[in-house]
Amino acid sequence: MSKWYLGLSTSGHDPALALVDEAGTVRFAEATERFMQDKRAWGVTPDHVPHLEAALAAVGFDAVHDTLTVGTSWASIKSNVRTDPHDALLPSSDTLWLQGMQGLLQQGAGRSLLRLGLCREANDPMRFDHHLCHAVTAAWFAPLDDALCVVLDGEGDVGAISAFDMRDRRLTRRWRSWGPGSLGTFYGWLTGLCGFDWRLGEEWKVMGLAAFGQVLPDLADDMSRMIVVDRGRLRFADHDILKAITERCLPYRRKPGEPVEFAANLAATGQSVYADFADHVIASCVGQDEPALILSGGCALNSSYNGTIVGRMGVKSLHVPPCPADDGNAIGAALLTFMRATGTDSVPQGDGSPYLGSRANPQTLDRLSASAQGLSVRNVEGHSENVVADCLSEGAIVGVMRGRAEFGPRSLGNRSILAAPHLEGMKDQINAKVKGREAYRPFAPVVRLTDAPTWFDRAQPSPYMSVTLPWKPDRPSPVSATVHADGTGRLQTTEPDSAPWMAGLLDAFQERTGVPVVLNTSFNIMGKPIVNSVEDAIGMLLTTGLDAVLIENTLIEKPSTAL
Amino acid sequence: MNTTSEIAAAPAIVSFLTDAIARFTKQPAAGISQDAVLVDLGLQSIDAVLLSGEVEDHFGIELDPATIFEHETLESFAQEVTRRLTLV
Repeated sequence: MSKWYLGLSTSGHDPALALVDEAGTVRFAEATERFMQDKRAWGVTPDHVPHLEAALAAVGFDAVHDTLTVGTSWASIKSNVRTDPHDALLPSSDTLWLQGMQGLLQQGAGRSLLRLGLCREANDPMRFDHHLCHAVTAAWFAPLDDALCVVLDGEGDVGAISAFDMRDRRLTRRWRSWGPGSLGTFYGWLTGLCGFDWRLGEEWKVMGLAAFGQVLPDLADDMSRMIVVDRGRLRFADHDILKAITERCLPYRRKPGEPVEFAANLAATGQSVYADFADHVIASCVGQDEPALILSGGCALNSSYNGTIVGRMGVKSLHVPPCPADDGNAIGAALLTFMRATGTDSVPQGDGSPYLGSRANPQTLDRLSASAQGLSVRNVEGHSENVVADCLSEGAIVGVMRGRAEFGPRSLGNRSILAAPHLEGMKDQINAKVKGREAYRPFAPVVRLTDAPTWFDRAQPSPYMSVTLPWKPDRPSPVSATVHADGTGRLQTTEPDSAPWMAGLLDAFQERTGVPVVLNTSFNIMGKPIVNSVEDAIGMLLTTGLDAVLIENTLIEKPSTAL
Repeated sequence: MNTTSEIAAAPAIVSFLTDAIARFTKQPAAGISQDAVLVDLGLQSIDAVLLSGEVEDHFGIELDPATIFEHETLESFAQEVTRRLTLV
């Protein structure tokens, strides 16, 4: 008989589940959107029956003898607190919609256990503070015992920011922000003003667009008065002040459908004001001789800002988990359930692997090999790195689905589209033919950790693509498809121990091209989640300009590109 | 609430809450009595939320967001904060 702990992310957006075993090890974690293939899976229960069933099967859960204890990623139901939603920046209808889903998911969490025959009556799950879940998730991935942990979020049980101290892996909260005042809401508002939609997760587009614009000092001055930062705690300015500032921003607004360049200065200005706010928060928390900073919460996805932190404000090293947003809280909730059930007060530490999701179904892969008429299908076991390096060096765009899926929004080599970064026009080709994205959006590079100082200023480990850094002006060769308009790149650093296949690919690619850098973007089209099944991957091969797909050791190529 | 009615509100907590409520509602602290009803004092729900944050910061305890709304009077809320402090 084994005891298992199920963590559920119950925000209403980005649901996810995680399973922790009785040794306190995270054994499985996956966002519901991957299983459903529905971006952000709004309102779907994180213990969605077929997904939970698949997850339990993946870890070898024994339904007859094992037990499952459930925890959720919020302490409270937001709508139970009788305050009017803050509506000066985002419409209150959005807030009420979100609160409705959060309440439903909080109430229904764990009911799927009834359907699966794992309990005979509805048990109330354990409930955990939202920011504590973020902090525990981040601590699981952080390779240290002592750190300051700051959660910069869109919301929380009482406010949008918490600061924790981790000592000997025990987390205690130093303080938290109460009431309206949120960097996530600020960025969501900015996203709307730039003609994008935060509900579609388009904050990325603002961050990317900022590189093309100039900071407008007067506008920045106005925006900087929207939030009052007091000892790190945030509070929105009064409604009439916000209204006046918002009106002064309107002339810079880009309407949906207008050329994106219209919003470049607005994006640059908003990103810069965001950075100032975040600086104030972090600077107010960092003490002398602070060992390290762990950053989590949805705002920790702002890789442009993240890349500016180390070396300033007394921060010596930065640790952002691969899943800082609300999907990641499934891990925190599962670990906290384990900790409470076993009386453990220190946060277990993982091996750093973000590869916690499901695998390609081998039976489907066998059927594919027998049925894929018209496609070239070959087994490349033992030399797949070399074969893919051949494809990439000849200009092919290759989707890779190997091993377990990454947990979190970034593709880190196991569900990635790869290409040669030095070939002319590669960025435009992938944006237009494969991803269906705006032409201005950049792609990310993978480099060896040991090569990072040769290629980047302020080089630092970035195993989960959490920081954007300036490429060195005198880098050894051009890699233009991975260089953004402002000369930066959101790099993934790899090491042979943690990502052996990618390390092998970088070696093979360098042998062929002299370039130890590979372009890596997520294996999806715009608006869809990252592929989850063999069928998803093959569907994408056939409906986009992808040239080939490697699934485990099987390479599937279109006939025109077969080597 | 039954659990709090047996505990006397600590004077330091009453005094802290009185000063804070006076500030939020823009009235002299001297005019606020211990048994005053929070809503009657003009304390808005947003002020109640911010006041909870100030109590957390000042006394080093964690409150639930709903706590203050479960107490009608200043004294009742002060008793609950006193009770939480004795648990720390």
